[in-house]
Amino acid sequence: MINPNYSESVMKRKITEGVIKVVLTICAVITVLVTIGIVVILGKESYLFFKDVSIVEFFTSTKWQPSIEQFGVLPLINSTLTTSFIAMLVAAPLGLCVAIYLSEYATKKTRSILKPILEILAGIPTVVYGYFALTFMTPFLRLVFGQHNVEVYNTASAGLVMGILILPLVSSITEDALSSVPNALREASYGLGGNKLQCTLTVVVPAAFSGIAAAFILGLSRAIGETMIVALAAGAGPNFTFNPFEAAETLTGYIVRISGGDVSYNTVDYNSIFALGLFLFVITLTLNIISRKIVQKFQEEYD
Amino acid sequence: MKKIILLNLLLVSALVVFASSNKETKVTEDKSSSWQIESEDGILPGVNPLKVEGDIISAGSSTVFPLSEAMAERFKDEGYAYNVTVDSIGSGAGFERFTVTGETDIANASRPIKEKEIAAANKIGRNPIEFRVGTDALAVTVSKSNTFVKDLTLEQLAKVFVSDKWSDVDASWPNEKILKFIPGTDSGTFDYFVEEVFKKDSAPLLSASNVQMSEDDNILVQGIAESPYGIGFFGFAYYVENKATLNILSIDGVKATKENVDAAKYPLARPLFIYSDAKIMKEKPQVAAFIAYYLTYVNEEITRVGYFPANDSVLEAGKQAWLEAMK
Repeated sequence: MINPNYSESVMKRKITEGVIKVVLTICAVITVLVTIGIVVILGKESYLFFKDVSIVEFFTSTKWQPSIEQFGVLPLINSTLTTSFIAMLVAAPLGLCVAIYLSEYATKKTRSILKPILEILAGIPTVVYGYFALTFMTPFLRLVFGQHNVEVYNTASAGLVMGILILPLVSSITEDALSSVPNALREASYGLGGNKLQCTLTVVVPAAFSGIAAAFILGLSRAIGETMIVALAAGAGPNFTFNPFEAAETLTGYIVRISGGDVSYNTVDYNSIFALGLFLFVITLTLNIISRKIVQKFQEEYD
Repeated sequence: MKKIILLNLLLVSALVVFASSNKETKVTEDKSSSWQIESEDGILPGVNPLKVEGDIISAGSSTVFPLSEAMAERFKDEGYAYNVTVDSIGSGAGFERFTVTGETDIANASRPIKEKEIAAANKIGRNPIEFRVGTDALAVTVSKSNTFVKDLTLEQLAKVFVSDKWSDVDASWPNEKILKFIPGTDSGTFDYFVEEVFKKDSAPLLSASNVQMSEDDNILVQGIAESPYGIGFFGFAYYVENKATLNILSIDGVKATKENVDAAKYPLARPLFIYSDAKIMKEKPQVAAFIAYYLTYVNEEITRVGYFPANDSVLEAGKQAWLEAMK
């Protein structure tokens, strides 16, 4: 005879399982809905913006000042690319070296100490990095290159500090890529008489190339979207310049300044930040998709 | 049976809650004017901050902000136990919150309200009342390390803010870029400057080179202080606070001093206001109390904050407007 308690407990379990399933599904659906909501709002408000503004002017003019009808996004893109490029100049080589050291050279013990420290770097609030840029990096740059050559707010300082910010991201993904290179490859290289450096540079790094590229692209997309550091240190006025020691406002910097204090609804300023938001969204989404594609390809090679 | 008892219980408890809440509102109604200290007709009642109840929300000009903040502090020091919010977001944004969304009780402004803002307020059933609280001498400042500019004429001032290099304005000045630090387009200070110096046309200023804009006056202060060839402007209080790192320029040979502001000689002196509405002041007695308190004691705080007292007749006009609103 079946124990009556038994069927009851099965029932109970079925119900709890059902509830858990529903809750988890709701969570998943919520994230999807939020994403869709953001895209819809960005699209709607940007549509209002582009009804008034020609898309050709948007991408070709070098003047951005929506309150007097100048809608060239190039100065903002230019400074976003400048800060991101400088950040990658720091994060890419340094991140690669850190990753090589951690994956190929460090003993288990040093690794267990170094990795958490690197992760602490990733946990520092970006506003702290911003003030670090403003109160340490900028005075330092002015000391080295001269008070007159470096402005108080400049893209170089913001970019360098941003490099430190994305360093943990780049090095940790790169390290994953390097460690997942099969040991057989390393052994084959040693078997041919290569030393450790030769093995690393000619076998491991090229084998992990796609993973490393993905790490760099993710780092770049993080740099492009970074806001607090550039808002504090890079400057608060659109400026089309290639000189990293001049102040120039980035896409994110403009959005945060306009929405930070003085959004007047139903003005072009207000709609323009959605257009810029959509533009940023498209850039980072594209970069993320590219890095995903690269990673997928990389996984196929060795699994 | 059980259910009926439960229902009864619920009903009774609901009644009790209802009755007690009724009592409470009655009590506050009684208290609503208890903060007033009796006074003669035609003179503002005295305010007892200890008896004022409820929060006050204000937002607007970053120029007026230090003054309203000081008044709020004093109000609290004397016993007001609730919150006064003072947001520093620019006059335009302050009016928007007051007239369009109706989120605030008081709007701080460094320029008079515009026609279309009054129209927007009327739409949500508000009728803005203006209270003059003081006078600002807009401060045009350069870094302490700037040794070549001490005085600008209004004409030169306009030229400096649209020119690329100092030598373009005056050949004897250095051949260096002019870095301009100015308040954002939604601030009353920006509007005022454009009106006085650029005859209401903001385009030349906005399309000038090397312009940094911010609603945060401290960002402007820092930028100017550390740029030997920088220049910028903001409310006088921010200059007073940063005298150590900034030099103030005289305009048309007139220094921004109390005598010159009082005698209406300083060309960039401008009024500072707070705005509210009769209905709000009646519905929220704490707002009326705070404004009465503000108008009564503003002259005791204003110099310390870094602005100049408005003359007695305009202050008095504000007090009369208060009495009119509370009738």
